[in-house]
Amino acid sequence: MSQAVQSEPTGPVENMRNLVLEIARALVDKPDEVVVDTLEDDGATVLQLRVAVGDVGKVIGKQGRTARSLRTILGAASMKLQHRFALDIVEEDEDEGDVE
Amino acid sequence: MEDLSQAAKKVAAFVQTLTTTGGMRLKYRITAGAGASDPDGLERRDIYVELAGPDAPQLTERNGEGLRALEHIAAKILRLEPEEHDRISFDANGFKAERARDLRESAEDAAERVRETNRPYSFPPMSSRERRMLHMALSEQTDLRTESSGEGRDRFVVLYPADYQGTVRAPRRDDRAGFGRGRGGRGGGGRSGGGRGGYGRRY
Repeated sequence: MSQAVQSEPTGPVENMRNLVLEIARALVDKPDEVVVDTLEDDGATVLQLRVAVGDVGKVIGKQGRTARSLRTILGAASMKLQHRFALDIVEEDEDEGDVE
Repeated sequence: MEDLSQAAKKVAAFVQTLTTTGGMRLKYRITAGAGASDPDGLERRDIYVELAGPDAPQLTERNGEGLRALEHIAAKILRLEPEEHDRISFDANGFKAERARDLRESAEDAAERVRETNRPYSFPPMSSRERRMLHMALSEQTDLRTESSGEGRDRFVVLYPADYQGTVRAPRRDDRAGFGRGRGGRGGGGRSGGGRGGYGRRY
């Protein structure tokens, strides 16, 4: 992801960012600590979800099932936007990346 | 579920997030309490969300992957324990109602077959929710018992004569190509609605 640049979200990107933000806030114990950043990466938008350390398991779930469900919902909502979205759940103190 | 109306409000807020922020074109009806109960008794649902509208079909694609995702997230929002997940149920365009009918039929076929042969019968791999529905559908057959076998996405229900000794094990991964076929293609009620015949390996 060396090419990635921070972007100022607008329109559909902002909507998908807020979708992940709102759902994640409902899942965790500390909704105020949920942050979703967006990165443009090779034509796709990567939504980077960060939550409080104690809430990471709540957005990943057993065997990654919650993370997978979030990605499925993101995929369904973004289908007609003609734009690719990916969801990364960032675990602090570890290499960031896909947790599944 | 501590308070049903509170829970229903949380579910409504979740669905509204999808339709407003998420831009999904869905109509929805949320029923809570007695009106939500499953007439077939396969789910113990307290909250039932029925979806329709232009974007409803994509929720039933890939064997209802989208519906399962919504159910999982809603159950997590409500902090339900895994064994309580069937207290919340989503359907779109009657997809799951049809699957439930198919499951009931394959349960009846399998029961008949196990009684005739006195041998265990293995259903195809299914999602945890569908496995539970099968267990429920067969729970009143006192001369039979059900158990699940296999791991993860390949987990499947086995129906045994109640006094059967032994356990049906999961086929090894390399055997999977033959899995299901050798069982006579029975128990596969999902073959009706073309395009979504396969069982939920991708849950």
